[in-house]
Amino acid sequence: MNNVLESVKQLLEWLPAGSPLVFSGIADLPPYFKTILELYTLFVRGLFPILAFIILLSCMLLLWPDRKEDEVRGYLLLKDGSRMPLKYWENSIGRSKASDLEIAFAYVSRSHAVLTFRDKSWHLTDVGSKGGVEVNGAKVEKTESLDYGDTISFAGIEAVLVPAEKPVHNHRDLTSAPPESKVNPGMIFALILLFQVLGAVQSCIAAGAVLNLAVPVTFLVFILAECLFFFSVQRWSQRSFDLELLLCFLSGLSLFIVASAHPDLLYKQLAAIFLGVAVYTIIGIMIYDPERARKLKYVFVAAAIVLLALNLALGKTYFGAKRWIDLGFITIQPSEFVKIAFVMAGTATLDRLLTTRNMTAFILFSGACIGALVFIRDFGTVAVFFGAFIVIAFMRSGDLRTIALASAGAAIGALAVISFIPYVATRFAAWGKVWEYADTTGYQQARTMIAAASGGLLGVGAGNGYLAKIAAADTDLVFGIICEEWGFLVAITTVLVFIFLAVYAVSLAKGCRSSLYAIAACGAASMLLFQTALNVLGPVDIFPLTGITMPFVSRGGSSMISAWGLLAFIKTAADRFGSERNGE
Amino acid sequence: MDLKGTVNDVVNLVSKRAAVLLFFSLLFVVGLLAFVARYFNNASLWVQHPANKHLYENGKLLSQGTIYDRRGSILAQINDGSITFNEDQMVRTALMHTTGDIENNVGTGALVAFGDRLSGWNIIDGVYRFNKSPAPGDDLVLTLDADLCTMAYRELSPYKGAVGVYNYKTGEILCMASTPSFDPQNPPAVEAGPEKYEGIYINNFLSARYTPGSIFKLVTTAAALDSLDNVENRTYPCAGELQVGGDRVTCMASHGEVTLEQALAHSCNCAFARITLDLGAEKLQEYADLAGFNSGLEIDGIKTVAGRVDLAEAEGVDLAWAGIGQYTNTANPLNFMAFMGAIANDGVRVTPEIIRDEGLSSFIKTTQKKRILSPQTAKKLKQMMRNNTVSVYGEENFKGLELCAKSGTAQVGGGKKPHAWFAGFLDRRDFPLAFVVVIENGGSGGKIAAPVAATVLQQAVDSP
Ligand SMILES: [Zn+2]
Repeated sequence: MNNVLESVKQLLEWLPAGSPLVFSGIADLPPYFKTILELYTLFVRGLFPILAFIILLSCMLLLWPDRKEDEVRGYLLLKDGSRMPLKYWENSIGRSKASDLEIAFAYVSRSHAVLTFRDKSWHLTDVGSKGGVEVNGAKVEKTESLDYGDTISFAGIEAVLVPAEKPVHNHRDLTSAPPESKVNPGMIFALILLFQVLGAVQSCIAAGAVLNLAVPVTFLVFILAECLFFFSVQRWSQRSFDLELLLCFLSGLSLFIVASAHPDLLYKQLAAIFLGVAVYTIIGIMIYDPERARKLKYVFVAAAIVLLALNLALGKTYFGAKRWIDLGFITIQPSEFVKIAFVMAGTATLDRLLTTRNMTAFILFSGACIGALVFIRDFGTVAVFFGAFIVIAFMRSGDLRTIALASAGAAIGALAVISFIPYVATRFAAWGKVWEYADTTGYQQARTMIAAASGGLLGVGAGNGYLAKIAAADTDLVFGIICEEWGFLVAITTVLVFIFLAVYAVSLAKGCRSSLYAIAACGAASMLLFQTALNVLGPVDIFPLTGITMPFVSRGGSSMISAWGLLAFIKTAADRFGSERNGE
Repeated sequence: MDLKGTVNDVVNLVSKRAAVLLFFSLLFVVGLLAFVARYFNNASLWVQHPANKHLYENGKLLSQGTIYDRRGSILAQINDGSITFNEDQMVRTALMHTTGDIENNVGTGALVAFGDRLSGWNIIDGVYRFNKSPAPGDDLVLTLDADLCTMAYRELSPYKGAVGVYNYKTGEILCMASTPSFDPQNPPAVEAGPEKYEGIYINNFLSARYTPGSIFKLVTTAAALDSLDNVENRTYPCAGELQVGGDRVTCMASHGEVTLEQALAHSCNCAFARITLDLGAEKLQEYADLAGFNSGLEIDGIKTVAGRVDLAEAEGVDLAWAGIGQYTNTANPLNFMAFMGAIANDGVRVTPEIIRDEGLSSFIKTTQKKRILSPQTAKKLKQMMRNNTVSVYGEENFKGLELCAKSGTAQVGGGKKPHAWFAGFLDRRDFPLAFVVVIENGGSGGKIAAPVAATVLQQAVDSP
């Protein structure tokens, strides 16, 4: 008994001492203690892939849309007695087969009007019809709010707006995560905490004698903050805590990577995560109302133009790219924030989509962004912007020909860039033969693949890798670091999170409160997807290396904050009930 | 009024278009799968890069692994970054091409080719080691018999060349020797005398190709047995030379009227020239490809060099010489030995193996087999090769071995002596061994290469 007390006392003396020097004692620890630590690593290596996989799978189940999309929110009664259900928050009416409500009558325009439900009532917008729209005999100039029982006339075709049998306001049974959901978010959250606690201990063990106190402190604060986040959302928010689960997981990974690469920068990374969550919350509130979001768009675009101009004027050149602005105490990467504005700029509500068909403003803004990025030589981000541009432009126009033309133009532009800018040309020269240039232009790729191979499926244990020590590895080569330290299985699971986010965004597009949100969610998800694709496939030589971060996971404040900002669009799209819910 | 209101059940406009993002997600998945495939194929190579700090320190391997022969003799041992070899200098030298040298100049050596296994790497654990201690998997047991290899090397050492023996039922390579070699513990200054040491890092058995000469007549014979009517019951005239077009094919002597069997036994060029011309280039090409020419084998991941037979432009006397194993034909010793094994094994070629699998992996690993000749053809070839020994090479030289063989004396021109070949197998259930001996510029196959084969095979049978 005394012995036990003695060892506990020793342990207590040993733990709180702040100086890393105390940990140098680990080298002199009895062999059995070292074996216990080794056993710990052996055990968690096998556990992490299983945990990661279960976390992803249960989040997918939790988020997978099983809500009833066919919820009818009202009806239009036609003269002939037929009843047309209003199934969406935004319903297009016209002669075209693509309309939600198709009226096959020659005088009705192909896209005639849009019926929108917002602020607890229906609004009717004439989207440039030839025959005009009337409500109770009065011509609708632009938008008119409606009451049930109103008679609407589409170029002479009359219809009466009637309520649904079940009022729309009664939505308790329709919350975005139904109570009968098969997965309990609390259970997933517990698994994530387990993953992170075990990982944090492993990170401390791996550091051994040179453990930086920042490692345990950061993880302690992070885990507490996570719990606070989880319980406050559960307690006070109408929204469910689902998407955030995956983000807790990814943010945890980012801390593990920084703990391996730059433990001294852990507090900064932690602050970046907190800032990210703040931005996520603020943007979420700001774009809550589609009308307000539509107006905010111009503010965002203006801010983006200012940022890009500043970047061009003040940008610092690192590694051949001029993508940072140094503010003395902090360097920021403006192009990251422009991503948010870019997605905003691309959005439109359905009535706008049908009234102003041309996207000139958006194309001009895209051109300006991409041009500025080419000028500051941030070619990875150029590719990401272009990918998102394609997705947004297609969602807005549905026109494959325009998209094909734009792609052809981009291909020519890319060829020009490759042939005229030597810095890019050397990158391309190494592509596909990195082992020949393993110590020059293929250095990062070769090291990444060596690390990935060294890790095997289960990894060598967090903090035991070598790749993290390479310059900029914790931003550009994070996939390799995860492979090496956490194993191929965890790395692939991490990538699958982003692919799932994209698929999830697509699934949300149906039944969004506004097509503005559908476009924003898909635009944001495509940004995250393209960025991840370049980050993962570049360093392993499937693509040319561009030097781009993995959203949420790489070290860096700007990248972290913008990723959270983009996430806000996806979360808002997932909210089916909007302001109504707050009415209660 | 014919007004018709339709509710389109298709999802609304924008959400339908969102599918474009699914398309991009799919592209990403394809790219990811490409990487996954590369990873599983190549991770064992990536991990061996000298820049890998898990395995190397200043270019030296950190791991601890040992290479054993089938009897448990240590061939090479890696310990704290330094490599030690067998204590006997002769054994070290004889097995240098098998183990590889300290500087990793021998690409097919086990230290390079199986470096991933020796380093303890595996796809599941990567380079992770519990308590950084070596695991059983770090050791490598080869199928080779070091004594037999040493004996073969001793016999071969006056010349340049290669010897190989393998079990044509299981695929295990028992003996592999290549000359010239050197003692890996005391490597010579190769850079100082590049001509003197030319080809010293090449394992001739796996990676060289030589003009095959008459041993190639076995390929021609196989084609003739399958394709020419009545070939076994007719005779071919030989007057010591044969006019083909404006050129001629010559024999060492005038053989008179010979059957196919006699033509093979006496290696009658005139008869084989006629047979080849009867077969035509296409048929001969087909059988050369079947016999393993123009494609290498993979010996536990080590790729062998492929022998070449290209008859696309061969006609007239060129084609005639090609059927006799001259023209532009080349043969790789190991691949030819595997062809011998196929004849012995009723036409089924078992791919040779060099790693002896023990424990769990022996259940997982499967021997690769491929039928390349019909059982009837293989049986006839076997009888004819047995006849070669009895009627020409002399049974007394290969007592009790039940030897079936074919010699070859391949003309190389340029005033150099011909390459001496001797290849075949033992038709014994207890020793199902196929072999090949090739000696560069050694002279007559029957006189120079056959005695080497006799000594090595006798040893293989006497001390299994
Ligand atoms: Zn003759």
